[in-house]
Amino acid sequence: MLEVFGRHPYRDLLVWTVLLVVVPFLPLDDYVLHILTLFLIFAVFATGWNLTLGILGLKTLGHHAFFAIGAYASALVSHYFGVSPWITIWLGALAASFAGVVIGFPILRIRSMPHVAIVTLAFAEIVRLVLSNLKEITRGELGFWGIPPFDPIPIGARTIEFGLGNAFGSFAVAAVMFVGVHLLLLMLLKSRSGLTFLAIRDAEAAAESLGVKLAAWKIFAFAVSAAVVGLSGAVYAHYVLILTPSSVAGPDMLISLLAMIIVGGVGRFFGPIYGALLLTVTSELLRDFGDYRMLLYGALIVIFVFAAPAGIAGLKPASWRKRPGAASKPAEAT
Amino acid sequence: MSGTHLLETLINGLISGSIYALIGSGLALIYGTTRVLNFAHGELLMLAGYFILMFAVTLGWPVILAAIATIVLVMVLGALLQRVTIAPLMKREDWAFSVIAATIGLSIFLQSGAQLVWGEQYQGVPYFFHGVAVIGEVRMPWQRIAILVVALLVMGICGLILYRTKLGRIVRATAQDSEAALAVGIPAGLVHTTVFAISAALAGTGAILLSPLITVNPWMGTAYLLKGFAVVILGGLGSFGGAVAAGFLLGLIETISVAFVPSEWSNVIAFAFLIAVITARPEGLFAGRGA
Repeated sequence: MLEVFGRHPYRDLLVWTVLLVVVPFLPLDDYVLHILTLFLIFAVFATGWNLTLGILGLKTLGHHAFFAIGAYASALVSHYFGVSPWITIWLGALAASFAGVVIGFPILRIRSMPHVAIVTLAFAEIVRLVLSNLKEITRGELGFWGIPPFDPIPIGARTIEFGLGNAFGSFAVAAVMFVGVHLLLLMLLKSRSGLTFLAIRDAEAAAESLGVKLAAWKIFAFAVSAAVVGLSGAVYAHYVLILTPSSVAGPDMLISLLAMIIVGGVGRFFGPIYGALLLTVTSELLRDFGDYRMLLYGALIVIFVFAAPAGIAGLKPASWRKRPGAASKPAEAT
Repeated sequence: MSGTHLLETLINGLISGSIYALIGSGLALIYGTTRVLNFAHGELLMLAGYFILMFAVTLGWPVILAAIATIVLVMVLGALLQRVTIAPLMKREDWAFSVIAATIGLSIFLQSGAQLVWGEQYQGVPYFFHGVAVIGEVRMPWQRIAILVVALLVMGICGLILYRTKLGRIVRATAQDSEAALAVGIPAGLVHTTVFAISAALAGTGAILLSPLITVNPWMGTAYLLKGFAVVILGGLGSFGGAVAAGFLLGLIETISVAFVPSEWSNVIAFAFLIAVITARPEGLFAGRGA
């Protein structure tokens, strides 16, 4: 558990929260807030994926499909039926979660990790193709535009506006989602459920022999993981206001998110957040060298797999061990 | 559907199927022997495409010579890939995912690298075989027929090597139990490298046959990689023969589906078929003796 959450997970989350509350009041220009908003959205995406990939140990490769489903479901319903995005983002999360359960069932039947990887990848490809083929509804690769931003909220004399170009409001929505999702997941994972997930990851047969209902737990993990990723997709849709199937469900999205999780630390609760921050910022710095972005992501994945398989988050415990006194304490269950 | 049209559809299905079979059987050979999913396999195909472009078009070598040079070069790359990236990772406890992640990273790295080196444009390779074969009412360019014939020939040779030679016995022994093979004096590490080289040769053959039809570009491997993996699973846990059969089946399903639905849906049908098969028969359609 220590390895997954670190020593004080709630304190760490509190630090993040305080930082996020302070940031909008710093004299930053809107461009910085825009990048941080993207970071927060991708951090939630990465955390959601890490739930199955790292914490449950099911090596799924198709979570960009849930991001796309959440994004498109919310965007389509709000556009065609005029429903407020404040409501449709939950429909997006629900749709993604439902898809997660549907694809979870074939996966239950297979214990071979390569099969899980390929089935989830094929599922993502199906989702991308369906979104790009249903041109009458989604406009295919031309892009689905006309997505409404979140409805403005009046607070006293001011009105908070959202969507691209309204940096403060957009950052606030992303930050609230970031803190909310991580707090709820932390509460879930620090409870018995989290122990069960880790037991399934570390010794599936042993967990089953102790009465853990593998099928139900895996489907549950899939539903939660897909819902989180779908929610991040929905918030993304109402922020950038235009979607194309290849940008949200294409291979670039898969690679970017995989890089964030691997660089941050597979199976560490806070790992994907560090990875998302580092890669979102670097890829913005490299914006002028557009062609190099994927080159960098590919290289980073290879380098981290070889040199630091536990990612940035995994670099921490080593420094704790060196700290005097820490070694004399009884070891916590890991 | 008229008789002629049906026949043409079937032949076209077998032709695209033979490419899937070439790529899938290479992946299956690796998977069967080492339990590795090589996500950089598509990039070996792409690099072979650029090699044949360089040898046959830029340098103007005769096709046979260019093809041999391409295959030798891509075999060296395949062996190198195994030695440098996969072999060191195999020693780890969590190697299965490390290898997937590392080869995905390598794959995107090579794609972007190729884009920087050779640019984004799609480069054509002229047909190696000219003219159109006319059999009854069926008209088929020789180039397409050559794909089927050469692919069958190459996979036949591979099959013969696997099941009729000492090298094949060594490979199959390593696939069954690499530790036991090591105990009787088979250098398992070397066998793994050999398997990657053979698999690269199969992908290289695919690239040479494809390059005149689909033009050479940095992303040419991506589309075929997922199909190749589908073939591995449909064929049943790393079985070479199963993968060849599954490749042809997938090609036929795709071309026949085009008769009923718009062509942009054919991949949806192919992947949905894959998921359906995994749900019903996780061991694959043609599970039998392993490679």
